[in-house]
Amino acid sequence: MSAEVEEMLKRFQNFKNIVGIMVIDNDGIPIKTTMEYNLTLHYAAVMQTLREKAQQVVLDLDATNEFTFLRLRTLRHEVLLCPEVDYFIVVLQLPCD
Amino acid sequence: MSAEIEEILKRYQSYPNVAGIIILDPFAIPIKTTMDYTLTVHYAAVVHTLAAKAAKMVSSLDANNELMTIRLRTKQHEVVIVPSESYIIIVVQKPGE
Repeated sequence: MSAEVEEMLKRFQNFKNIVGIMVIDNDGIPIKTTMEYNLTLHYAAVMQTLREKAQQVVLDLDATNEFTFLRLRTLRHEVLLCPEVDYFIVVLQLPCD
Repeated sequence: MSAEIEEILKRYQSYPNVAGIIILDPFAIPIKTTMDYTLTVHYAAVVHTLAAKAAKMVSSLDANNELMTIRLRTKQHEVVIVPSESYIIIVVQKPGE
């Protein structure tokens, strides 16, 4: 599993626009990160809450639907949240424009 | 103001993949919608809480940053949420593939 994770991190790090990648488990604990640790902890806490909220929203609107991806576009950058079964991945990227 | 709203609606409705557009006032009350009313009110309630939470999260991570849009991708469709001072625009679209 960890070789897979390393491979994925390496693949994404080659893209110029990527500021950071974090792999966080379902309890909000960062498993892997390319960013500074304190910032990662902050993002982990915040993104975990948001992930749960988004999941609730989707299921509330339609119980047969599934939450697959979340993109938050902010002034400074774009945050991508990809939920998986045991963890979720957060990527920070600079938008092209 | 209502001419502006009509213009927004017309612009988004011309895209082929758009399943519905909802425009809310800052208190999450639907001003205009192209979807059925019960569903609109349901969307208004859940999306408003998600957008508020996401905006708070973004400012807690970085006080100079601001949330611009949220894209919530699910299996069946994609919900694009644009919060602003005078309205919250929600567009439900079917993904391209």
